[in-house]
Amino acid sequence: MKMWKFILKRIIQTIPLLVIVSLISFFIIRLSPVDPLAELRLNPSISQETLQKEKARLGLDKPIIVQYGLWAKSFVQGDLGVTSSGEKVSVKLAERIPNTLVLTLIVIFMTWMVGIPLGILGAIYNKSKLDRILTILSSVGMAIPSFFFAILLLIFAVKSGLFPVGGLTSYDFSDMYFGGKIIDISKHLVLPVTVLFTLSLAGLQRQMRANMLDVLDSDYIKFARAKGLSETKIIFKHALRNAINPMITLLGFEFAGLLSGAALTEYVFQYPGLGRLILEAVMKSDINLVMASLMIGSIMLVAGNLLADILLIITDPRVRS
Amino acid sequence: MKRALRIILTVTIILLVLGICIRKDNPDNDLTIDSSMVKPNPDAVMLDMNYPVPKTKTIDGVDYMESQLPVGKFGGEFVTSTIGEGPKTFNPFTSTDATSSAMSDVMYDGLFTTNPMTGEVAPKLAKSVEIKGNRYIIHLRKGIKWSDGVPITADDVMFTWKDIIFAGLGNTSVRDSMLIDGELPKIRKIDNYTIEFVIKKQFAPFLRMLSAPIAPKHYFSAKKDWQKNFDRFLATNTDPKTIVTSGAYRLKEYIPAQRVVFVKNPNYYYINKDGQKLPYIDKLIYLIVGDINNQILKFEANELDDISLKGSDVARYKAKEAKSNYVIYNLGADNGTMFIAINLNNRKNKETGKYYVNPVKQRWFQDVNFRKAIDYAIDRKSMVQNIANGMATPLYTAESPNGIFYNENIKGHDRDLNIAKSYLAKSGFVLKKGKLYDKYGNRVEIDLSTNAGNTEREALGVMVKQDLADIGIQVNFKPIEFNSLVNKITNSFDWDTIILGLTGSPVEPHNGKNVWNSNGPLHLFNQKSPNDMKNNNIYPWEKRIDEIFEKAALCLNFGDRKKYYYEYQQIVYDQAPIIYLYSPIRIYAIRRKIKNLYPSTLSGLTYNLEELYVEEGKK
Repeated sequence: MKMWKFILKRIIQTIPLLVIVSLISFFIIRLSPVDPLAELRLNPSISQETLQKEKARLGLDKPIIVQYGLWAKSFVQGDLGVTSSGEKVSVKLAERIPNTLVLTLIVIFMTWMVGIPLGILGAIYNKSKLDRILTILSSVGMAIPSFFFAILLLIFAVKSGLFPVGGLTSYDFSDMYFGGKIIDISKHLVLPVTVLFTLSLAGLQRQMRANMLDVLDSDYIKFARAKGLSETKIIFKHALRNAINPMITLLGFEFAGLLSGAALTEYVFQYPGLGRLILEAVMKSDINLVMASLMIGSIMLVAGNLLADILLIITDPRVRS
Repeated sequence: MKRALRIILTVTIILLVLGICIRKDNPDNDLTIDSSMVKPNPDAVMLDMNYPVPKTKTIDGVDYMESQLPVGKFGGEFVTSTIGEGPKTFNPFTSTDATSSAMSDVMYDGLFTTNPMTGEVAPKLAKSVEIKGNRYIIHLRKGIKWSDGVPITADDVMFTWKDIIFAGLGNTSVRDSMLIDGELPKIRKIDNYTIEFVIKKQFAPFLRMLSAPIAPKHYFSAKKDWQKNFDRFLATNTDPKTIVTSGAYRLKEYIPAQRVVFVKNPNYYYINKDGQKLPYIDKLIYLIVGDINNQILKFEANELDDISLKGSDVARYKAKEAKSNYVIYNLGADNGTMFIAINLNNRKNKETGKYYVNPVKQRWFQDVNFRKAIDYAIDRKSMVQNIANGMATPLYTAESPNGIFYNENIKGHDRDLNIAKSYLAKSGFVLKKGKLYDKYGNRVEIDLSTNAGNTEREALGVMVKQDLADIGIQVNFKPIEFNSLVNKITNSFDWDTIILGLTGSPVEPHNGKNVWNSNGPLHLFNQKSPNDMKNNNIYPWEKRIDEIFEKAALCLNFGDRKKYYYEYQQIVYDQAPIIYLYSPIRIYAIRRKIKNLYPSTLSGLTYNLEELYVEEGKK
């Protein structure tokens, strides 16, 4: 019962946060000198009447505060509005979200499955050869800028011909059998996953190793050792459970990055995900689309934190009191 | 000691890996590329290939279009690309961006098209046209069908022009340009295959305007309140199977941010010399790529069949052409023009009571000698060499060199600082210690702007600054954000000089009316605000250009029109309110396996899609 109350409280706290986020982003976009109609204006074959019609359709002829009110009203009603080219924002988002989720979920799954054990290993065999090798690898992983790494891999794809150059599916995808489709998608995913995986793996491994080292150094572990407990029991029962707590908070952030975290990589690989859509929308000041994505971003962040807090309550009895 | 050894070992490994990478690239780097080897000669435009225009051939009462090109092989696919976000709609009447228009061009034919070689109006869905004074009687092809098998008749044409275009649905550009003295043409159906247009008075661009696509009535008006939903009709999430088309292809699928796939329209009205139905190629695929770099990578990975090359890539591609599976075509100058506009505005802002342009500067800008001095001080040739990598041709006229009304009598001139200085001296400017002063002793200092982020224009700005420094003019070059720039041009008018580019129409100068008419919304150099439209305080030569545009639109004779448009180009050259710099040259690479190519400076490389075929030899 106490937990439900806690969740409810947190959800109510988010409302003013969302209002502030939406206000700031709306005004920053609208007050910037970006004119969504600029390209039409410089097109010699577009008439004044067409321009006026476009202006009215996008609501640009009203004061900013009214524009915000209109947007907020329809947002609360669950209507995300239309993009500057007249398509439904919800449809556009729905087209891209599954693609991004495929990418980010695979990456998160892989990094956690590999990163956590490697972190533990690094801590247990601290200062051994294995630990040194892991340190070098993770330093390299952290040092490579993702943008540059992605471009290098693309060039590799072009020169070797082993992988397709960006995208998610080949053009004859719809004529393939089921197995062929899976192979095709996997081939396209290898490179972007590699980039994101290398990057987040390094950070995660370092974090886990540091946490684990802290815990292994603490008095109660020494006590457990002195008591003669088996090493497996010490590590998995006593050390790991304490070391994993900060990671849960991290998982909450990962959740927030599910939709937006891969934007840069998506762009380089021409991956048809949400990141690329939003990047293009920002450049054109496509307000409804940008606002929808910003709101989704903030909601995901809040939800991620909430999720992490709940998980913490479950795993750590100290938080409950 | 051990540690030092380890570091050395790691470093050597890294160096080795890098070394391998570099060595692998070497074959390309070894080739010393002499820029003259690939320098396109602006005069050597590929126009010698004469495209045999398809002819009408009637078989069993059906008026087919018979291709005069060699008979090719059926099957295969053609993969091309479009940069950006992909189409926003498949409705040809609501599209405002180039990609959407390109897609609907593939799917919908108009009554007429442009002859790719001569630029004349050529029949497409129409079989022929009779012009009797102000009456245009259009005969349609008999027996041709939409992709779903429904016949294409006069009703579809009536529907398109009367219920969509003249009714003001969608993008009203076509409708607006058809207003002759505020009146729209009258349209009448004579019989199932004949339509008559009556216009108020002669209007030269009229026939060409009938190239607008024709919509299938039974499909567009299937729903009751189709008018209300017109802007959302044929949105990108429409089920492709249901879309009815008249063009060579119909939509198969659209995957957002990835590709658009077309398959051939079985009812298309083109046939080859053996009487087989065209198009040859089964599938036409447009990959949606985010930027030019990705496009190049995809071409090099053999994922694309054609590509428009950037200046900086041409040398590399040319060097490899002989050993590769592509051919490079030089299509000559395109419709783009790069220029410096000078703000001749002499009006006051009615709201603030201040001049749009500083009165001291106004005296300079409104002085033709000052403008000509700039014209002569600018070094177009080195701009072409250094900024466009030789992939451009110097430009001195308002029409692009591939245009059919291009005034070839204007030869232009090289950079000549003495002539520039003599122009300045004529107006009392004095050059003291390399600094220019006007006759009232004001230091000549002007602002130059362009859109930030466009590296080509930014580089041009730097060159203009250097060139003008040689005649003592201090140029403050400030690139600003594109949208702010547009706001300055169309709204606040508070600028001195601007580097900009516009794309014109090579076949119809009248489309430049928005720029050249003194009341035009893009009149750049002397833009009127909406309040000033009635103010007729304009320069005499502006008045003459207004007259020319009006008169040229009224005469149908090509020779007479030519005289008018030649005169306007001469005026622009003499008065130099806009100083033209260059026109880019288009260089395309396309796979050798694509046959029946007849490159045209007017229409590009793959305008005859239905006649292209793929020769599958060695891959």
